[in-house]
Amino acid sequence: MALYPTTQAVPVEFLAPETEGVVVDLCGEEKNLHRLEELGIRCGCKIRMLCPGETCLLAIEGKKMCLRLGSTAEILVQPLTP
Amino acid sequence: MANRASSDRPATVALIGNPNTGKSSLFNALCGGQARVGNYPGVTVEHKTARMSLACSTFKSIELVDLPGTYSLSARSADEAVSVEVLCGEMPTVAKPDAVIVILDATNLERNLYLLSQVLELQIPTLVALNMWDRLEKEGMKLDAQKLSESLGVRVVCTSASKRFGIAEVQSALLEILEQAPGSEKANSTDSRGVLERGALASASFPKAFLESVDELEAWFGAQGCPLERFQIERLLIDDSQAHSYRVIPKRISSEVAQRIATTREHLATQGVSIPLFETRARYGWIKQRVVGVVERQARERRVSTSDRIDRWLTHRWLGLLFFIALMFLIFQSITAFASWPMDGIGFGTQWVGQRVEAMMAPGPLRSLLVDGIIAGVGAVLVFLPQIAILFFFIAVLEDCGYMSRAAFMMDKFMSALGMSGKSFLPLMSSFACAIPGIMATRTIENRRDRMVTMLIAPLMSCSARWPVYVLMVSAFVPKQAVLGGWVSVQGAVLFAMMCVGALVAIPVAWLLKRFVFPGEPSTFIMELSSYKWPSFRVVAMRVWERVLSFIARAGSLIFVTSVLVWAAAYFPGDHSLVDQATAKLEAEQADPNADEAKTQAWTSEINQLKSDLISKSYLGLAGQWIEPIVRPLGWDGKIGVAVLASFPAREVIVATLGTIYSLGGGQDETSQGLAENLRSATWPDGRPVYTLATACSIMVFFALCAQCVSTLVTIRRETNSWRWPIFSFVYMTTLAYLGAWIVYNLMSFWLDP
Ligand SMILES: Nc1nc2c(ncn2[C@@H]2O[C@H](COP(=O)(O)OP(=O)(O)OP(=O)(O)O)[C@@H](O)[C@H]2O)c(=O)[nH]1
Ligand SMILES: [Mg+2]
Repeated sequence: MALYPTTQAVPVEFLAPETEGVVVDLCGEEKNLHRLEELGIRCGCKIRMLCPGETCLLAIEGKKMCLRLGSTAEILVQPLTP
Repeated sequence: MANRASSDRPATVALIGNPNTGKSSLFNALCGGQARVGNYPGVTVEHKTARMSLACSTFKSIELVDLPGTYSLSARSADEAVSVEVLCGEMPTVAKPDAVIVILDATNLERNLYLLSQVLELQIPTLVALNMWDRLEKEGMKLDAQKLSESLGVRVVCTSASKRFGIAEVQSALLEILEQAPGSEKANSTDSRGVLERGALASASFPKAFLESVDELEAWFGAQGCPLERFQIERLLIDDSQAHSYRVIPKRISSEVAQRIATTREHLATQGVSIPLFETRARYGWIKQRVVGVVERQARERRVSTSDRIDRWLTHRWLGLLFFIALMFLIFQSITAFASWPMDGIGFGTQWVGQRVEAMMAPGPLRSLLVDGIIAGVGAVLVFLPQIAILFFFIAVLEDCGYMSRAAFMMDKFMSALGMSGKSFLPLMSSFACAIPGIMATRTIENRRDRMVTMLIAPLMSCSARWPVYVLMVSAFVPKQAVLGGWVSVQGAVLFAMMCVGALVAIPVAWLLKRFVFPGEPSTFIMELSSYKWPSFRVVAMRVWERVLSFIARAGSLIFVTSVLVWAAAYFPGDHSLVDQATAKLEAEQADPNADEAKTQAWTSEINQLKSDLISKSYLGLAGQWIEPIVRPLGWDGKIGVAVLASFPAREVIVATLGTIYSLGGGQDETSQGLAENLRSATWPDGRPVYTLATACSIMVFFALCAQCVSTLVTIRRETNSWRWPIFSFVYMTTLAYLGAWIVYNLMSFWLDP
């Protein structure tokens, strides 16, 4: 199963349910990004959208995490298509 | 620390790791401790110490410290701060650790190694426990622990704390590390103590300019007479000024430090060091090198797992919410269903004991104290033991199966509308058991304003101490019927409604507090979800047992003392000789098999008359007359007023107080049918019953909203460091309670009897 990046990077909230993406950039205030990276959300990690919404449920490298960042930070992902 | 090692003091060993990795499970396994275990992040919020029964040649004994989970050593919330304080030796009650056990979740190695990379910088002998070893295979992973140990340079032990696997290995590895502590005979042996050379630490790959600045600051702090460890200086430079690391700086130099840090940061920025993000990059770079060839993920076809399938339903936008409400309803229904039989048993038991005592003693003050004061009072509360046990059984099952974090996720949508986050949900949920651990659990909330609001509304959640009051009122005054085809009991439904009252009232209260008292940016929400698992029998049994014990302890101490006090207030200053004589005569008559029915009846009612005269002239009766005008609008008489007043230290006391008052004040006949029957037969002077459904509901609503718990107020004071907030909670909750009870009483009286 090869994975090819196809589209432009999008904010993680835009991932469709059950699709995967690779984090390509984090933007926002640095102390918030520091926290995200400590929690394992950093460039290059794979995110699968489980339950979209303002508060979304993600699988980050296989571990489920819920996330609502509002306007404090943005996670940009490159969607992957199987 | 090098010269502290000696055999006449205990060694301190700290357990640290990411949240929900099994620290408390390992703690319990290592020292037979009773730390709370639950399957969601943020169960432990305080440090907990216990002694290990291991003979160590270099230390007198070994003290193990269980710590709250944290993702990193730059603490952002109060519980994380506890862990950092203990590790850095800043906690006044805990000696600086002589060794640390870092618990890593083997199924999420990279992320967990981040914390390890920071802990290693503290230069404390370190042992790594790779926990959740049993789950590796299920997740289709393989891990080479030997290789990991070699690449990290510290000892690695594989464990499954909840299954008690690998515990002996942890013990022997720990002993080896401690026995090689510097200063001991074996210190020069080649075996590693788990302290890395500076060059092997992740900080060695920090930018050179940064390391030089740390050197400079280290010298400067030394010159100021306040030497700090390198790691602390690094944290000062990296973390923002609100962070915990700033607390170690003495007041006298704090403004100078702030200035120095600011200029150093500016200087570093010109050198191209981007604070704070260079840290995470350097650490993950270090991690990447260490895990090469350690973890092997079997490339299996990605299919939707059972856990994903369950989550799709449980976290569904509205089905999930419906499920949550239905679950709570079911729990309350089953508590009423299962508890009634053992409750009756305990009720009969206390009555039997009372009758035995009466049979053995002549009427008099001592017998009255035992029967009317202690047995009627404490017994009335003990009856609710089965309810508490069943409630905690359900709470423990929910906590350990992994559902709680899902519920928090769902509630976040709703809480964010109030300006709060799903993080507040877990403390509120645990306040349904008891507000004290609930308030403690608010430590996990990073946002200070959210934390304050959560703390102030937590006592509104219906804690288990309110159960006795609700159940007493419901069982006495709500018809024992089943509706909807016999599936839903009316009593259970009313109980459920009472549970909801506080939570519903908390919504506008939270909104107002967030709007006017603690305004600020809406908070963000990040939380890891735990994996689903079958609840462990040991965890559930321990939680129920611990609660049952504490309930009995409370009944035996606080409730016992108040029962005696209330008895004294209701017994004195009257002259009870007439009642005692009449009772003695009556009992003699009753012992006679051919007793005259009419005669005993007449005596019984005479005794009751005498008793109720005595109680109305007692101190308690006088207090009742004084308080009656205040509580009349709520539909209460003076006795209820006094009972409620006596229950301000602790809610359950009202049950004991009513038990004593009605036992002393004379029931309808001598072989009393228990407290519920006594309440039903209580009348106003004009013969109307005191207790109607409206009165019962007004009492319940009052208890649902009132701040009747001294320990809760003391906890709020401790957690906020000021008396202002407990006073605030007390005033607002008591006002709400009075208003709520008044509204309910008037509405219900109007509705039932227009
Ligand atoms: N499968 C498996 N489950 C475990 C293991 N160790 C602990 N658990 C479970 O993981 C959950 C969390 O355990 P705790 O001991 O409360 O974790 P903790 O690290 O103290 O958590 P916090 O105090 O919240 O930081 C519980 O449900 C345990 O039963 C293990 O080795 N294998
Ligand atoms: Mg714990």
